[in-house]
Amino acid sequence: MNQLTEETFEKTLHAFIRSDQIDLRGVTFIDPYGMVGLLEIGELCMLEDIKKTVLLPRSSEVLRYLERMDFFTNAKRYFSLEPMHAPPTGSAGESDVLLEITPIERANDIHYIVSRVEERSQAILAKHLRYDGKAINGFIVALSEICQNIVEHSENKGFVGVQKYRYPSLGRNIVKIAVMDAGIGFRRSLSGRFKLTSDLEAIEKALLHGASRHEDEGRGHGLAAAKRFVEQWQGRLSIRSGTARLSLIPKWARGREREMNLVNLPGSQINIILPEVLNS
Amino acid sequence: MLIIDLYTILKDELKNGSNNLVTRPTGQAVRERIERDIEQAPDGSVIGLDFSKVGVIDYSCSDEIVAKLLSRLLAGEYGDKYLVLIGMNENQRENIEVALERKDLAIVAGTREGTKAVLGSLNNYLKDTLEFVAERKKATARELTEAKKIEANTGGTRLLNLYKKRLVRRIGGEGAMWAYEAL
Repeated sequence: MNQLTEETFEKTLHAFIRSDQIDLRGVTFIDPYGMVGLLEIGELCMLEDIKKTVLLPRSSEVLRYLERMDFFTNAKRYFSLEPMHAPPTGSAGESDVLLEITPIERANDIHYIVSRVEERSQAILAKHLRYDGKAINGFIVALSEICQNIVEHSENKGFVGVQKYRYPSLGRNIVKIAVMDAGIGFRRSLSGRFKLTSDLEAIEKALLHGASRHEDEGRGHGLAAAKRFVEQWQGRLSIRSGTARLSLIPKWARGREREMNLVNLPGSQINIILPEVLNS
Repeated sequence: MLIIDLYTILKDELKNGSNNLVTRPTGQAVRERIERDIEQAPDGSVIGLDFSKVGVIDYSCSDEIVAKLLSRLLAGEYGDKYLVLIGMNENQRENIEVALERKDLAIVAGTREGTKAVLGSLNNYLKDTLEFVAERKKATARELTEAKKIEANTGGTRLLNLYKKRLVRRIGGEGAMWAYEAL
């Protein structure tokens, strides 16, 4: 494995869960989904009183990136890191990090996330995605709502990370957002109000029909806001929970819209990719 | 008009320096402070929620503050009072509108540039009636009926419906007729 992204994470998840060691030595690229996914596994292991060992990437560039994303700050709570982590030196250059890996446990964390993204929105969203003020507001609100779902519904903690990349095959800049929690997942969250037969049905209910565990009509904004925003800006959105994943796939991306019988992973895992706006 | 500065409340309640109205717990804390002020205001008061120093407001906070306050106002929980939004920017207006539309609510909102418009869900004929009242500052059913060439009870019903939605203020009119005043 030389990349740790949503796609490869899925392929290695089974091994990650079963093995005492998570071997990242050959990894030359890791994105927010990969990092946040590892931390979610760590959180789940901690609930079972297990501490796995992570064999860190050999690539100093990847280590520097992990450092910039604050991965180690969070990871050392869950894993034994080998070799013992020492902060890599060297210039990080102009940072493409919009939001470091940030834990989400309470409402105050959302204020921090929103302020942080606001501060960097001109440097990343305006400059690299060519977002105007209205789009930046939509981005911040969608991110706020998705992260709040963890506090409101998951009954556990979560993580978020946001990073800008150059996407060579698309010839455009993109921003990747990963939000995950190790909580009760969509199916259990909605089961008090709806009779659901599968994880996929639960995700569909929440994403496509704005269903919420609360009866109040004012609820269910979170994912609806994210969906609206992602569709408006031709982004890609995937939501995984339990054994299923539902994705909204734009023309420029590939993948399956509905996936079932995946390796069971508690909680919810959301991945969003937003491309640079093209001149009309 | 009694003006409530949301930034001051936010600063007092959160104590984290944020000027953003995000999350339901934040919205709940801010709403509870506003409710205390509304309850102390005399009947007939127009209360303006001032957003001019606030940054982002998300959908959850829009629902928790504006939509819930308005629902309770319409249910008569605060007495005979009126609510308007002031000092709003375009992004705040859009996010609040989404929350109001989900609950079929409407409110008068003023921008930072001083223009006013209704936000949320309102029938076209009620929007038209509201514009009529806003242009004249004050109107009676008779004036509306004559200007719009509609039946007398239609004009009265439209104004009454705007009043029930707390979008115009009802005041003692000439003789037995109520007058309706723009907020």
